[in-house]
Amino acid sequence: MARIGVFICHCGENISATVDCEKVAKVASEFPGVTVSVDYKYMCSDPGQNMVKEAILEHNLTGVVVSACSPRMHEPTFRNACAEAGLNPFLCEMANIREHCSWVHEKSDATTDKAIDIVRTLVEKVKRNEALAPIYVPITKTAVVIGGGVAGIQASLDIADAGHKVVLVEREPSIGGHMSQLSETFPTLDCSQCILTPRMVDVARHPNITLYTYAEIESVDGSIGNFNVKIRLKSKSLDEKLCTGCGACIQKCPVKKIPSEFEQGLGKRTAIYVPFPQAVPNKPVIDRVNCTYYIKGKCKVCEIVCPTKAIRFDQEDSFVEVQAGALLLATGFDVLKTNFFPEYGYGKYEDVIDGLAFERLASASGPTKGEIRRPSDGEIPKKIVFIACAGSRDPAKGIEYCSKICCMYTAKHAMLYKHKVHEGTPYIFYMDIRATGKMYEEFVRRAIEEDEVKYIRGRVSQVYEKNGKLIVRGVDTLLMGQAVEIEADMVVLATAGIASPGSEELAQKLHVSYDKHKFFSEAHPKLKPVETNTAGIFLAGACQSTKDIPETVAAASAAASKVAGLFSNDLLKRDPLIAVVKKCAPPLYSSCTGCFMCIPVCPYQAIDKEEIKDRSGNIIKTISHINPGLCQGCGTCVAFCKSKSIDILGYNHDQVCAEVEALLNEW
Amino acid sequence: MNNLQQKAQQLLESGNYGLIVGYEKGTSGKARPVFIRKAEHASKLIFDESCDQNIAVYLYRQEIKHDKKKVIVANHHTLKSIVELAAENQVFDGDFMVLAFAENGDIIELNTFKEIEKHVATLYHGLTEAEAAMMKKIEDMSLEDRWAFWENEFSKCIKCYACRASCPMCYCPTCTVEINQPQWISVPSHTLGNLEWHVMRAMHLAGRCVTCGQCGKACPLELPIQLLTYKVALDSKQFFDSVAGTSICADNALAIYKPEDHENFIR
Repeated sequence: MARIGVFICHCGENISATVDCEKVAKVASEFPGVTVSVDYKYMCSDPGQNMVKEAILEHNLTGVVVSACSPRMHEPTFRNACAEAGLNPFLCEMANIREHCSWVHEKSDATTDKAIDIVRTLVEKVKRNEALAPIYVPITKTAVVIGGGVAGIQASLDIADAGHKVVLVEREPSIGGHMSQLSETFPTLDCSQCILTPRMVDVARHPNITLYTYAEIESVDGSIGNFNVKIRLKSKSLDEKLCTGCGACIQKCPVKKIPSEFEQGLGKRTAIYVPFPQAVPNKPVIDRVNCTYYIKGKCKVCEIVCPTKAIRFDQEDSFVEVQAGALLLATGFDVLKTNFFPEYGYGKYEDVIDGLAFERLASASGPTKGEIRRPSDGEIPKKIVFIACAGSRDPAKGIEYCSKICCMYTAKHAMLYKHKVHEGTPYIFYMDIRATGKMYEEFVRRAIEEDEVKYIRGRVSQVYEKNGKLIVRGVDTLLMGQAVEIEADMVVLATAGIASPGSEELAQKLHVSYDKHKFFSEAHPKLKPVETNTAGIFLAGACQSTKDIPETVAAASAAASKVAGLFSNDLLKRDPLIAVVKKCAPPLYSSCTGCFMCIPVCPYQAIDKEEIKDRSGNIIKTISHINPGLCQGCGTCVAFCKSKSIDILGYNHDQVCAEVEALLNEW
Repeated sequence: MNNLQQKAQQLLESGNYGLIVGYEKGTSGKARPVFIRKAEHASKLIFDESCDQNIAVYLYRQEIKHDKKKVIVANHHTLKSIVELAAENQVFDGDFMVLAFAENGDIIELNTFKEIEKHVATLYHGLTEAEAAMMKKIEDMSLEDRWAFWENEFSKCIKCYACRASCPMCYCPTCTVEINQPQWISVPSHTLGNLEWHVMRAMHLAGRCVTCGQCGKACPLELPIQLLTYKVALDSKQFFDSVAGTSICADNALAIYKPEDHENFIR
């Protein structure tokens, strides 16, 4: 016989202002099976919780319904209280009469009646609840970090330093990401590579870090604690163990005029190449699209000159599978190319470049050895116009957001230009100057006041070429909207930061949510900024939204600390609210028909096959089986199963049907 | 003896096959299924226009499960059902051989699922003109008229479950109507309960119905219930480009997600 306790919370006035809580408690006390029904001002307070505990002990309750707020809020609180009083926590249910009732209705009898209905459904459910025990899943203490930019590097080092294994996967031939392309960094103007490359070397040397470059994520299954990550190691056409990185092959490669991705197309590279001299690992790969051997079937110069015979033309992509407890996404960002802008010439003017290309021009290791020379003829530009917000904050271009980093790097660019070309004049067209970081405003003031950068508040409507000059037509809104025309030698567009290519596919492989701009979404914009909605997958850096270096590094360390926190336990405790395939007595054994249509339905790949055998080992029947470690209890398979052979513990067919019937039937 | 009978006799005499499931002459000009285990009975077999029953429904039955390797004489409905049953792991490759018929009446032996799938690809998938006309008649009705039409039809149903017994895709050992903890579908026959049954049956056949129309033919009250499953079959084709009985892979439209799936019905 059920002995149910019903506890009605006033939630201060949150509930009692519109619901007559005394009446709900009184009516509930008459429901069949209800032994005790009381109301109290704050059920979640210590005295309130004690009322629940004392009632359990006094009346030997078999179930508890706390009628209060959303289960998201206080279900754990009351389940713990029940457990402390010796009642299985899964015999406690929340009846949500706040979000589902008092907050959304006016004060009226109907509101109170609805609260009564809600309580009744849960009373009927809890009568059918079963005692459940939590599931413990072992945690594989390895993290897979996807993306080897500064975020991935920082996160990998932090996790590895905490004593856990890290597998770092980078799709380019070298780690380093965009930060390795930058010249100097705001607001201190220290050299980007000088601060980054030691970290890159640390990654390569760290005993806890396994580095896979030129590699991509092929597939991911499993869930928090136990992911199974399949990594595609793209063929480098090279035996890395033999290669010493001497560079003889690169020097002799006859294909020398491929635009270098690292140099943003301003420099050239060979078909067998390392992206930049400080690359980690400093071993080349063959670009098969441009290599003469792969195009024409002959050449093999690199093979001939290689002193260790490390070249492998027939090497194929290989795969490694990694068991991991957590995944960390640090896939970074990209910038819009200049060909995105019809008004700035669709990318047809060589001297209209994007910000990353300017970084390479200003970099001491860049194609011009740090001299600012324009791409078309190598002349030193006398006037450069920088255009901020190229694409950003422009709903007409489909990018409503602020790219955040451009104000600062544009100020830096103008400053670097002025430092290198003293007689030159930098102009910056801007909408607003957003310099909100530490020492950022001071940095911009310095650009304006000391380095005489000419800031013009207004937009540029058009850039076109005339007599070898780039004519920039814009408006100065601080001069009453006066039209401005500047004859520039070069134009630098601070193009919008966008999601890294392939983000969407990766998000779909990982079941991570993403926004309409394909940036990965955090679980909560304020309180869970480095978590995703998928447990065990974390975010770091600009794959979430464009971030500058300090923010990226902070986010990477934050995400790493979340991973380290997860790995600090040997077992992961999970609620047992998972799906199970029902079994029954022979000769049926299970009503499961073995159609296995639930297998593709499951978003977590938690379903496999189970053979039911007799004592001699003959297979009687093959049915579905749900892996309790992987099942998230979403219930998709339950809804799909035609023979109703799958139940979710804690939400089984009987319980849900009882709830529905309680609502539909007259009481 | 015709070709089919000779073939059947040879197969049984060879000792490699123990059972032939096919059609024999029934009463009032109809064909009925026959199970032949002896070579001398092979002359009972017929295959003509009257053989329209979908006999794939017998393939997974306990009664013939332990027979030696089986042969099934298949019309095009049966073939499609075999493909769909294969996709749903209810029949197994190599357990039986299929005798199908080419346009000119030649017998085609199909031994593997791959061969059956290939042969089925050459068949017509879709409703006959008469069936399409019936569908159109119902779809053209106003909501109220359609409801009244079905209410009237369902009021006649006696819940004999002949529709279920005739359908090759209704293979669950415990059907939802027989589950009583909780009782999802009411047991007695009344209009609302009958509607629940037929709607549930149609939904369970979504993306799986091969439009053989056997349920409607089996109905002793001649209710046009096959139109319900035709509707979900047509929707499955229209919205997900999925046609049941064409692929031996598990690719039921409702069980898989594709990036190009329509989402415009989510509002």
